[in-house]
Amino acid sequence: MNLALLLGLTQALALTMSVAFVTYVALIVVPYLRHKRLPGGDPTTLEWHFFVPCRDEETVIGDTVAYLRQTFREAHVWVIDDDSDDRTAEVVMGLRGPRHGGTGDQRLHLVRRQRPFARTGKGDALNSAYRELKRWLGKHADTDRAIIVVVDADGRPAPDCLEVCSAEHLFGNPRVGAVQVDVRMSNRGTSPSAGGYFKRKFGSALVRMQDLEFRSAIAAIQLSRGHTGTISMGGNGQFTRLSALDSIVEGAGPWRGALLEDFELGVHLLTAGWHTGFTVDTHVDQEALYSLRRFLTQRTRWGQGTMQCARYVRRIWDSRHLSTLGAAEMLYYLAQPWMQLLGTLIYPIPFVLLGIRATHNPTEVWEWFSGGAWLLFATYGSFGLMPFIIWGPIYRKKCEPDKGFFRGLAYGFAYAIYIYTFYITSWRALVRLIRGHNGWTKTRRNTEAGHPVVALDH
Amino acid sequence: MAMAGSLPMPSAPRTTIGGRVLIAALAGAAVALIVLNRAYRTAEMALASGILNVVTSSGVYLAAKRQTVYFGLGTDHPFGLQMSPECTSAFLVLPLLVVGAIMIGLRPRIAGRVLGALALATIAVILVNQLRILTLVGLIDWLGTDRGYYWGHTLLGSMVSIIGGAAALVMFVWISTRKPKAER
Repeated sequence: MNLALLLGLTQALALTMSVAFVTYVALIVVPYLRHKRLPGGDPTTLEWHFFVPCRDEETVIGDTVAYLRQTFREAHVWVIDDDSDDRTAEVVMGLRGPRHGGTGDQRLHLVRRQRPFARTGKGDALNSAYRELKRWLGKHADTDRAIIVVVDADGRPAPDCLEVCSAEHLFGNPRVGAVQVDVRMSNRGTSPSAGGYFKRKFGSALVRMQDLEFRSAIAAIQLSRGHTGTISMGGNGQFTRLSALDSIVEGAGPWRGALLEDFELGVHLLTAGWHTGFTVDTHVDQEALYSLRRFLTQRTRWGQGTMQCARYVRRIWDSRHLSTLGAAEMLYYLAQPWMQLLGTLIYPIPFVLLGIRATHNPTEVWEWFSGGAWLLFATYGSFGLMPFIIWGPIYRKKCEPDKGFFRGLAYGFAYAIYIYTFYITSWRALVRLIRGHNGWTKTRRNTEAGHPVVALDH
Repeated sequence: MAMAGSLPMPSAPRTTIGGRVLIAALAGAAVALIVLNRAYRTAEMALASGILNVVTSSGVYLAAKRQTVYFGLGTDHPFGLQMSPECTSAFLVLPLLVVGAIMIGLRPRIAGRVLGALALATIAVILVNQLRILTLVGLIDWLGTDRGYYWGHTLLGSMVSIIGGAAALVMFVWISTRKPKAER
C-alpha cells in the first residue's frame, strides 16, 4: 500500500470513528437533559437486603454498617468478610452484639469466607452471601419481593433510594429484574489531607472528574440505554430482584468470574429476558480516588473486565430478548477498549506522515499549513474534543448549578484530558490479558495510604 | 409476580452458508475498495464530470487516467480537481461494509435489513462526496480560485464530510437495527 492510500485510509477511519462518537454523544445528551424526576413507590411492599463485600475494610465498615442500619431500619445488612487480615469481622460482630437471646441486631448478618476459598473475586464473595440468604429465607420465600442491594464498604445509598427504586417504572414493574442508581463521589470538593499544594489540587481535580464522569456522561449513557433496553449494572448501588438472580444461577451462584462482574450480571439478566432500570432520582455516594496511580490501576481493571466480557458478544446477539439496536449498543460498549487501542495506532499515522514530509520539505508543509490547512486541524480538533468538553457545562447545569460558567468550561477541558488516560489503561489491560493476569486485589481506599500493595495478581 | 427469565429461550440460528457467502462478499468488497481504489476514484470523478456537465454551462473534461476533472473550460478561470485517496468516499464506505459484515455474522436474520441499510448509506456517502465537489466548484466559481478553493476544501468540504458522514451513519444504524414491521 502506498503512503497516499495509507494516509487516505487512516484519515477516513479516524473521521468515521470521530463522527460515530460525536453522533453517539449528541444522541445521549438529549434524554439526559430532558430527564424529569418521577414519583417514587412504597418500599414496604418489598424486602431489602444490603450486601456489603469487604476485604480489609476495618477503617470504613463500622460507619457504613451503622449508616445502613440507622437509615434503612427495616432492611437487612449482610456483610461479607472475604477473609480480611484486619479486624473487619470483629468490627461487624461488635456492632451485631450477641447472636442468641434476642439482644443482638437480628438484621445484621456476617458471612465469613475462609482461605483457600476466599479472596477469589468479588463475584464469589457475592455468591456466598446469595447462598447464605437463600438458606436464611428458606424454600418458601417470596423471591419476587426480595431485593438485593450491592453496596461498597464505603458506600452511602441516599436515604430515599428504597422509595425511588420501588417506583412503578422500576421494581413496581414485575418484569424489572435489576435497577442501577446514580453514583456520586462523596469527597468531591474535598482536598486530600496529605501532600503538597499541587498534589492536593491534582487530587481534588481527579475526584471532580470522577464525579463528573459518573453523574453526567455515564448517567446519560445509562438513560439513553433505557431506549435500547440495555441498562447495565455497576458495582455499587446495584439493586437486583432475588427471583431474577435465581433465574441466572450457574455453578456457585448468579455472579460469574469476570473482572467486570457487575456488567456480566447485567448481560445475564438481559439475555434471560429481564428488564433493567436506571435512575438519577436517587444515588449512592462512594469515595473517589485522589491518586492517579490507583486510578489508572482501577481503570485498567475495568478495561480488562470489558475486554473479558467480549466473550458475551455471541450470547448478546443470539438472544431474542435483545433488539438489534440493543445488541449493537452493547457491542459498541464492549468494543470501546479495542477501539481505543485501534485509535492509538491509527490517529498518529497522519501526523507521523506529515512529520516525515515536513522533515523532507519544511517550506512546502509550512505553506500548506499556514495557507489554510490549520483550519482543517482546528475543525478536526474541535470535533475530537467537543464530545468531551460539553460534559463540563452540562455537569455544571445539572449537578453543580452553584458553580460559574467558566468553571464548568474548565471542567470540560479537564475531562477531555482525563478521558485520554483510557488510551493508557486499555493498553495496560491488553498486556495483562495477553499475559493471562486475570486476578486482582482490591483498589486501595484513600484511607489506606500505608498499605504497600495497590493491585497484584493472585 | 415476575415471570421473565423463567423459561429457557431458544437461540437464534447461527450463520448459514448463504450468510457466510454474504459476509465473504462484503469483506471482499472492503478489500476491493483498497486494491481497486484508483478505479473507484476514476468512477467518482466520472460521476462528478457528468453532474458538472449538467449543472454548468462551461466546458468540462474528465482526465480519467489522473482521476481529474477540469471545469470552467472556455472561461477565464479553468480549473482542475484531482480525486486523491484522502478525498475519496471509498474509505468512508469501507467501515460500513466491515460493520455490516459483523452484524450479519452475529445475527443472520437481519441480513436483508443490513444490506438495505448498507446500500442506502453507501449511496448517501457517495452523494455527500459529490456534493463536496460541487460545493468546491461553486465556491471557486463564486470567490475565485484561491479563496474559493481555500474555503471550499478546508472548511466547508470538511463540514460537508462530517455532517454527511454522521447522517449516513445514523441512517445505517437506524435502518439496520429497527424492528421488523410485525414486531413494532
